[in-house]
Amino acid sequence: MILIVDDKKENLFSLKTLLQLNLYEADTAASGEEALKKILKNEYELIILDVQMPGMDGYEVAENITGYSKSKDIPIIFLSAVNIDKRFVTKGYNSGGVDYITKPFDPDLLLLKIKTFTKLYKQTKELNDIKLNLEQKVEKRTEELQHANKELETSNAELQQYAFIASHDLQEPLRKIITFSQILKERFTANKEASQYINRVITSSERMRTLINDLLDYSKLSVTPEFIKTPLNLVIQDTITDLEISIKEAGGKIVVDQLPSVKIIPEQMRQVFQNIISNAVKFSKPGIPPFIKIWSDYTNEKSTESEPSSKGTYCRIYICDNGIGFNEQYLDKIFAMFQRLHARAEYEGTGIGLSIVKKIIEKHDGLVTAKSEEGNGATFIIVLPIK
Amino acid sequence: MNQVRFLLVDDDEDDISVFQEVLEDITPSILLTCAGDGTEALKLLKHEQTKLPDIIFLDLNMPLMGGKECLSELKKDPQLKRIPVIMYTTSSQSKDIEETMLRGAICFITKPTSLSELKHILSSICKNVHSNLEKCLRTLSDTSGTFIVC
Repeated sequence: MILIVDDKKENLFSLKTLLQLNLYEADTAASGEEALKKILKNEYELIILDVQMPGMDGYEVAENITGYSKSKDIPIIFLSAVNIDKRFVTKGYNSGGVDYITKPFDPDLLLLKIKTFTKLYKQTKELNDIKLNLEQKVEKRTEELQHANKELETSNAELQQYAFIASHDLQEPLRKIITFSQILKERFTANKEASQYINRVITSSERMRTLINDLLDYSKLSVTPEFIKTPLNLVIQDTITDLEISIKEAGGKIVVDQLPSVKIIPEQMRQVFQNIISNAVKFSKPGIPPFIKIWSDYTNEKSTESEPSSKGTYCRIYICDNGIGFNEQYLDKIFAMFQRLHARAEYEGTGIGLSIVKKIIEKHDGLVTAKSEEGNGATFIIVLPIK
Repeated sequence: MNQVRFLLVDDDEDDISVFQEVLEDITPSILLTCAGDGTEALKLLKHEQTKLPDIIFLDLNMPLMGGKECLSELKKDPQLKRIPVIMYTTSSQSKDIEETMLRGAICFITKPTSLSELKHILSSICKNVHSNLEKCLRTLSDTSGTFIVC
């Protein structure tokens, strides 16, 4: 519908007739005030506005219309017989008009303009509707996602709790199996066969206990402790002290270069080095004492391949051993949960150690990988942001 | 050797029987009293006729009153707070260790699975309970394969 605003009844009448003859719906208002009231109440697709009116003039009406959010997009065509000077035309455009027509006007041209502007308005409105619709959809989707995210967080936390409790409670009966098997072993070892069977029970139970402990460690990783700037040499020295007995037994030697201080979770990073170094000791070649070398460099990218750069923001730590190594085609497997490359009879282990390493390093926003050849030692590479 | 009195507060009957057996193995001069949870232990200790134990072994997870609460109650009592308390539990969580040491436990022992290990620990404690308890516990924590924190 088109609204015609003019204080002269005859003008209203002639314009309304013209529009109606051309199949437009038309409404009229005899003053600025009446026009504003009608605009608030009804939907218009175009307003034809006289400039000179008693009371509120056309410019004021236009400014008011463009001030409402409901009506700000309705095109306004000014129509004036008196104010035909350039400055009036300019004022018309400035107050929100899309066109300024002076009288006398050509009805055909006016109709063409009306056609263009109503079409434009319709398109703008459609676009706005689509935009609004899209915004609503995005908002709804975001809400749904946030909700799903929250649910995930909750169920994740529950799962961690569950894993923790499950493995904790699994330990209890297991501890008793071990205790009473030990008692049997210590007191009733007369029968050799029986004692062998009991030994197997104990060995298996001990293995299960290690497994449960490793699982417990893994589930504990999901809690977020504090990052502290720590000298890596300190962490590695602690680890070596902890592993002292097994390193000594194997006749192993570890050489550690000067390493930088990095913002880490010290307890977790200690576990990383413990798992990698104890692997290096464990997977040594028969008859050849393990030799482990640890050094580092800096680089600008979170990558094992990028060029070293002394001012880099990442620190790369290399842990190189002379052990049995592995075929690099199994690289993905060694970091996966419960994956082992060797029979248990050959090498002890639960297959959780390196998956813990991976999880911890990822938590530190770093990456870990390894280079190796079967029979030719392995080098583990850890990339960490220095922060 | 003077007669030594142990109090074991634990709800696990298997653990109690193992503990009992090991003590009998060491020397018959140890008198072991058992309580199934914190409230029972406190009731026993506060009873007029009870001769106070030389040392208390206290489990963490028990029905009615757990080890932590019981420990706090013990340390509030002017008579009982002098008795050394050793936490004797399956836990090895740092949270539990810190909390109980803060509340006044002198030692935190994770229940060992080896009978001989338990025997070694209990006989050392038994020998030193009247004189060098703290030193003995520290030596144990340094040398024993069992998880002990002092």
